[in-house]
Amino acid sequence: MNAVQSGLVVQALLALAAVATGLLSPVSWRSRATGALCALLGVAGIVTGAAALGGANGALTIPLALPIDPLVLSPDRLGGLFMIVVSAVGALVSLFGIGSARGAEASRTSWAAMAVFLGGMQLVPAATDVVSFLLLWEIMTLGSTVLLLADHASRSTVYSAAIWYSAMSQLSFFFVLAGFGVLVAATGGTGFQTLATVPADSWPANLAFVLLLLGFGGKAELVPLHVWVPRVLPEAPSHVAAAMSGAMVKIGVYGALLVCVRLLPSGPPWWGVLILVLGGVSAVYGILQASVASDLKVLLAYSTTENMGLVFLGLGASVLLRSYNATAAADAALVAALLLMVSHAAFKTTLFLGAGAVAHATGELNLDRLGGLGKRMPWTAGTFGLASLGAASLPITSGFVAEWMLLQALIHGARLDGEVVSVAASIAMPLAVAVLALTAGLALLTFVKAYGIAFLARPRSRKASIAREVPWVMRVPLVLGALAVVGLGLMPGPLAAAIAAAVGPVIVPDVHTVGLAGVSLSGIDAVLDPGTLVILAGLVLVPILVIVALGARRHPTRVDPLPWAGGGSRLRPRMQYTATSYAEPLVRVFDDVLRPSRDVEVTHVGESRYLVEKVHVEQTVSDVIETRLYRPVLNAAQRFGLAARRAQDGSIHRYLGYSFAALLVVLIAVSL
Amino acid sequence: MFETTYPQLIGLCTGTLLLTSALMVWRHSMLASIRLLAVQGLALAALVAVIGVQKGELEVILVAVLVLLVKGLGLPWVLAHESKATTRTDEAPRLNPTASLLTVALLTILAYVVSSRVLARDTSVSAHAAPIGLAMVLIGFLLLVTRRQARSQLIGFLVLDNGIATVAFLTSGGVPLVLELGISLDVLLVVMILYVFAGRMHNKFGNTDIDQLRKLHD
Repeated sequence: MNAVQSGLVVQALLALAAVATGLLSPVSWRSRATGALCALLGVAGIVTGAAALGGANGALTIPLALPIDPLVLSPDRLGGLFMIVVSAVGALVSLFGIGSARGAEASRTSWAAMAVFLGGMQLVPAATDVVSFLLLWEIMTLGSTVLLLADHASRSTVYSAAIWYSAMSQLSFFFVLAGFGVLVAATGGTGFQTLATVPADSWPANLAFVLLLLGFGGKAELVPLHVWVPRVLPEAPSHVAAAMSGAMVKIGVYGALLVCVRLLPSGPPWWGVLILVLGGVSAVYGILQASVASDLKVLLAYSTTENMGLVFLGLGASVLLRSYNATAAADAALVAALLLMVSHAAFKTTLFLGAGAVAHATGELNLDRLGGLGKRMPWTAGTFGLASLGAASLPITSGFVAEWMLLQALIHGARLDGEVVSVAASIAMPLAVAVLALTAGLALLTFVKAYGIAFLARPRSRKASIAREVPWVMRVPLVLGALAVVGLGLMPGPLAAAIAAAVGPVIVPDVHTVGLAGVSLSGIDAVLDPGTLVILAGLVLVPILVIVALGARRHPTRVDPLPWAGGGSRLRPRMQYTATSYAEPLVRVFDDVLRPSRDVEVTHVGESRYLVEKVHVEQTVSDVIETRLYRPVLNAAQRFGLAARRAQDGSIHRYLGYSFAALLVVLIAVSL
Repeated sequence: MFETTYPQLIGLCTGTLLLTSALMVWRHSMLASIRLLAVQGLALAALVAVIGVQKGELEVILVAVLVLLVKGLGLPWVLAHESKATTRTDEAPRLNPTASLLTVALLTILAYVVSSRVLARDTSVSAHAAPIGLAMVLIGFLLLVTRRQARSQLIGFLVLDNGIATVAFLTSGGVPLVLELGISLDVLLVVMILYVFAGRMHNKFGNTDIDQLRKLHD
């Protein structure tokens, strides 16, 4: 038994142990025991994934009573990378859950479902055949659905979220199943190695590609299959939302990579264009919705759509450029996409856990009622701030490194040795750069809002003003997540090299570690060494700061009392920017896309038309895709249901007639 | 000698079965239907007996006796007894006699067409007669759909059951005694339950028109 094999067994056992503990232990130590076991499960996943990423081979074979091939779990390098990411997120959220889960969130069902969810999710990247992949995929979905329903008794919106989630999950599953089905029918085997033998230019490959892309894109929250995200993530308990956004979504990315890198590595250009368009639209649409959201979790949920859009943008660019033999740029784009995936796991988990900490301390997630938490919750504020830097792709964070690499790949992609690669790439790459730039700008605005409104300024509600810092068991995962964001940002070299090894052996990106764990893309002459840059900047800045500090000491501090405060002497929290007012200019600019509905209600003082007692402003931004694309379908389904009701009027004769007619139809069909 | 009369006997029995089924569609009186059902039961028993004699198996002849007791005598007696106990309402048909007889003809043709496909390989005498059983199933179903009263529907159900039994006997050359015992018991039980049910309906609503039971839907 080697490391990978025993690691897989340990994971399965730990998951079962966690389920048992969750179901059997009393409430007094249920959260602690099950959370600790889930965290251990995550650690086991990290170790196993690391072994697999290091190149160790090992397989866990599970024979079945059914007349199909036994299930074989054997993660390759790519699977190992995803197992590490997913397990790390799982370990962090389990630790956080120990502190944050209260009431229904800490029930037997919830903790058992948590173990099922995490266990299934960690093992999906290990699957080597269609059956085990789909089985683990559904276990993951099932566990997360049960977790989502934790608070169903206290909030009615949870039901609607769960129904949306189930329906969209099943839609994704249907697409994935159909896609794999096409490949299985074309090749005659269920193992991934057999599926990979399908010729890339045949119609089964094309059909399967589209179906699988839609299926995995739905899990990865791509537009237009993202409609569950803004409902589900805000309704789920915070640590569950972190696991969904930080880890489960990555399984969708894994699926897409499985298709584009492992099964069908040499697709035609239009595959790349399709992924590019899906990714680009998702990125822009997601960040636009995020920038106008005033609920912290909705904002983070839409931001996930944006980030996954960028990951798919990189993937699409990679597939497109590879089809034109621009290998170096294609590899760089692929590595960038994976780097973004890993860094998104780090910063989005931290952000969702931070939101969970805010909710834990204040019971409030509406940004318009938060504020001033920076002083009261320094740990949460600090970690949330660092993760926000990552989400806004600012330097010293991993988000910056990833987007920088993606930008390099896109800029260098259209040309190969000074020659234009193709017309399609020459049009697509600049557009992709524009999308990336627009997204980065809006992301900056969005996270300035998220951090500034929630943690800076004065508290906008009483709950925010009496908030207390969360217990250490919730702070530890926050700090670890923030450390990961900064660590990967300062030393991206080893991770990039690991990613380059993971996507092999067919694709071998030319990625090296340079300087102080910096990264070098030799193929497109791009070098980034943030660690060295930070040290250099420090060497320049520290003397300046010292000089300024010394100079400041020489002059006593001047205090300027306000001669005329302009109302400022009575500064009240209501005078500050709110999340809604901060996003107002953006809403006006993108009015046609967002189509907000505004409701202004003015109450006058007595009979006066000029004196105003109260102004009530309400603005809601609905999801255009939901109202325009899904509503009509849902309404049609409803109409069909009502029409079908007419056929079912309770008359036994009519039902007998239906059966008789059906029997006759069958007989006539047989005799034809 | 039996070898030459065997096909004729089979033809006679199955012909009676089909004739009684068609007549049941034509006649609307409850009492007439019950008599026809009794004749049908007797014909079915005779059919089984003929098959048993031809095969020379005692078990099949025992089955014939069982069929005679249950379908020829038992069930019609139960139905007649029950019908006398309560006042009968006249059956207002959903389909007039001409149209229903025409439908019976069409259903019989369909049964023959279907059977010619399904039983194409089987050339035995009994297999040739099997379409009658299928036609009876369809006619029984037609009775179920077109009759308003719960009791008349029961007749349709029994014709349907007789049709299934006919097909079984003709295609497999006799059913094991244990199996037939089980099936007969089932049918008997269903008839009892439906009769109690219909009686209670009659007490509660004054008739057994099941068109009035329409509230049970969403």
